[in-house]
Amino acid sequence: MKIVKEAVAGTLESSDVMVRIAPLGGSEIDLQLNSSVEKQFGDAIRETVMDTLAKLGVTGVQLIIDDKGALDCILRARLQTVLLRASDSKELPWGALK
Amino acid sequence: MYNSTIFSRVKRSEYKKIAEITKFLRKNDLNIDTSVEEFITVMRDSQIIACGGIADNIIKCIAINEELRGEGIALSLATELVNLAYERHHSHLFIYTKTQNEVLFRQCGFFPIASVPGIVVLMENSNCRLHRYSQQLATSRQPGEKIGCIIMNANPFTLGHQYLVQQAAAQCDWLHLFLVKENTSTFPYVDRLRLVTEGTANIPNLTVHPGSEYMISRATFPCYFIKEQGIVDNCYTEIDLKIFRQYLASALGVTHRFVGTEPFCEVTSKYNADMRYWLNTPELTFPPIELVEIERLQHEGTAISASWVRRLLAKKQMDVIANLVPDCTYNYLINNPNIRQKSAGTSSEESVITVGEL
Repeated sequence: MKIVKEAVAGTLESSDVMVRIAPLGGSEIDLQLNSSVEKQFGDAIRETVMDTLAKLGVTGVQLIIDDKGALDCILRARLQTVLLRASDSKELPWGALK
Repeated sequence: MYNSTIFSRVKRSEYKKIAEITKFLRKNDLNIDTSVEEFITVMRDSQIIACGGIADNIIKCIAINEELRGEGIALSLATELVNLAYERHHSHLFIYTKTQNEVLFRQCGFFPIASVPGIVVLMENSNCRLHRYSQQLATSRQPGEKIGCIIMNANPFTLGHQYLVQQAAAQCDWLHLFLVKENTSTFPYVDRLRLVTEGTANIPNLTVHPGSEYMISRATFPCYFIKEQGIVDNCYTEIDLKIFRQYLASALGVTHRFVGTEPFCEVTSKYNADMRYWLNTPELTFPPIELVEIERLQHEGTAISASWVRRLLAKKQMDVIANLVPDCTYNYLINNPNIRQKSAGTSSEESVITVGEL
């Protein structure tokens, strides 16, 4: 999946997460995480993010994540949404996300 | 259960609603900012309880009814504002807000980049963008003991600008020239950049840099009016100069900043005085920068300025202009009749961003 433009998904409200994405030159994944539960779940959140990106073959992006304690499933959903919005594809490759 | 909360978008043209917003902002000690293109209001029982506005990539005019603070309305409002900004294709966002709101916006993914303690803070929605920009600047660092810097608007590039650059370059080991990027000037940024580059091509120890939103831009000089006008005017310069000294000058190792003397404009001469203070004061821990004012080049007893050229342009006095601008600018003016018309229409309208220009 190729990321071609900037996009945002989610909200800043409690139990949700706002994900902003921008394409970066190269193959670097620049992940900035600000979370209200960083100390407890920071590593778990990063793992979910990297896992989702890997499954969809996304590299060369900057991701800024403002998390207000979203559940893992919410985080995945927001990530998938932002990736779809920022890519040139019309549909998520659902099979890859299993 | 509380009453339903309604978020709506209000365009500049909806006068009646804008009047209500103005009233609400007044109650919260803010004046409406004329550059805001679209507002988001939060209503409950047909009363505004919160609002915020967007002007390009700057979020401003944010107010929340005091009694309702702490309910999480701010986060919902911030969400809507960020979404609206993205829809308008702006993702590098700035917030210029009262100091007491800093904590609130930190929770919304904004990070402070400069502040006037107790009064205002400028924040952006990234904790590394400015840092990256200064890292990128650092790659243009040049060796030497005396490293100069000029920031100019060059609207348009005159013999006065050329003289200032020559004089400054002669005094320095290396000179960095930044061109104000904001496109509120009569002359488009790309044209200004080309003329400056052409007109200084024979100076060997000079780098011409494109401007950025971090110097004399709408973000660092917002038209954001808190009631005590005097204080805010000081804040503009203080924010702008703090960012310059802390991030940009230290990245390039700038030791001297050059400006032309300002015999006419009170605002610009005030900016020069503020510059002298904020670039040098030991209050800030960054390396000090000395301000050097260079006497302006004159033509028949009058200091050459871009505003003079614009006035002559409006009156179509090309023969006089020929004495005030380098060949590249003269040819450009001759070949672009549209620009001449445009400057005739807007000769009296000067934006705050032209402050600090020659």
